[in-house]
Amino acid sequence: MRRRSEVLTEVRQAPALRERKTATRVLVEHHEVLRGLMRRTQETPRSQPGRRRTLADELFDELWMHERIEEKIFYPATRDVTPGIAAAWSEHRQLSDQLAALVRADPRTERFDRELSVMHDALESHAHLDEEQEMFPEVERFMDEERLVDLGDRLQARLDTLRSSRRVRAVLRLQRALLRLTAGRARR
Amino acid sequence: MAQRTLDRLLNAIEGDGRLDRPGHRLEQGFAFTENLLGITRGPARGFLHGVWLGHPLHPLLTDVPIGSWTMALVLDLTGQKRAARAAVGIGLAGALAAAVTGLHDWQYTHDNARRVGLVHGTLNALAIGMYGWSWWQRGRGHHLRGRLAALLGYPVIAVSGFLGGALTYRHQIGVDQADRQLEPRRFTPVLAERDLTEKSPRRVRAGDVEVVLVRADGRIHALENACPHLGAPLSQGWLRDGSLTCPWHGSQFELHSGESLNGPAVAPAPCLQTRVRDGWIEVRRAPAVATAPPGSTLVHQQEVQP
Repeated sequence: MRRRSEVLTEVRQAPALRERKTATRVLVEHHEVLRGLMRRTQETPRSQPGRRRTLADELFDELWMHERIEEKIFYPATRDVTPGIAAAWSEHRQLSDQLAALVRADPRTERFDRELSVMHDALESHAHLDEEQEMFPEVERFMDEERLVDLGDRLQARLDTLRSSRRVRAVLRLQRALLRLTAGRARR
Repeated sequence: MAQRTLDRLLNAIEGDGRLDRPGHRLEQGFAFTENLLGITRGPARGFLHGVWLGHPLHPLLTDVPIGSWTMALVLDLTGQKRAARAAVGIGLAGALAAAVTGLHDWQYTHDNARRVGLVHGTLNALAIGMYGWSWWQRGRGHHLRGRLAALLGYPVIAVSGFLGGALTYRHQIGVDQADRQLEPRRFTPVLAERDLTEKSPRRVRAGDVEVVLVRADGRIHALENACPHLGAPLSQGWLRDGSLTCPWHGSQFELHSGESLNGPAVAPAPCLQTRVRDGWIEVRRAPAVATAPPGSTLVHQQEVQP
């Protein structure tokens, strides 16, 4: 339990600064948070399954929230600016599927490492190859700076609300528990 | 006139952005269920898409309710009550199977097709409700009510069937969208061999054709870059258990043959032959052999010795 809160604080400290940012910047910074979690999970050896599991849980939650703020706020606002929104939605689905596979894998096994490496590739494909290289530059070019900053505020506010919401945390914990429970049954 | 009315109906559905939110909600719920049941990573996924069949399974199953319920209409006219109830029941079973496969296919669609699919599915759910009620009432001896429900349900599946047809013929959902070009017929250099790193897909051009190169297990594989499902760039995909995964919908393609392993792509990604000459990777389309079944020639000739 203590280990978990320690991980949480490190992630939450990152967006403490209160300056106004553009939507794309908020999202890129959150991509960095996700990359950091990914890196730390990959650096944790198989001999520390508890910490691996905690980090995977944290990744599950953060990525879930990332998808929600993009889908609720960013994609609807940029739908007419860039043609890649439908594909981005689909990529979220791939990430959700891969997250489920990661959470269902036992952190002591080699399967977990494999799922983690696929998770890494899938995340880079969506965050880097698609959004950071193609979609975001297009949005920045064709969208009003002021509008982008407003969007950024909304994204950040929504992210903060989601992070501090007890209901969201409970739902996510339930989702993870259900995924693990059914995975155990499938193995038996 | 009728044509214009139908066209207007389709345009109205396709342009209605309000359908997106409920659509995505439904998909997320469905995705979570599939992950819980282990369908996403299991053999059931490809089975439901119809990979084993070579084309989508869903349209095949829809014939069962349409046929049975048409028969029920005829049996109602000739007054054969028990047979009519059986026909309604068989139709129901087929409709439920079609619903599962249809939802499974629908979750991997985009934009306009997605909206049409949502309305198609909603109408079908309504028809299932009506025919279910009809079946139940007939069982309790209320044949008149049963007939009325069937009579009202029939136009619903007719409209819904029309929308399903639009998904295939207008939006090409479930249709093999691979480009059937013959080029490049000769070996064309596309990339210096040292520039291709292990297990990292790379997009290259061979003339007008976009190709994805993958180096895995000491071999260089080449597939057409556009996914045969909805044209996603496979070069942005990743390797999972030794096969190339589509970044949009997770179809997995066998590297050496391009065969789809799990769907939603039910058709193979076209394969090209590769070889290395003077430090350059060269690709070409396998020469067509008119007397061999298509595909088999591609598979057997992919590996070319330099």
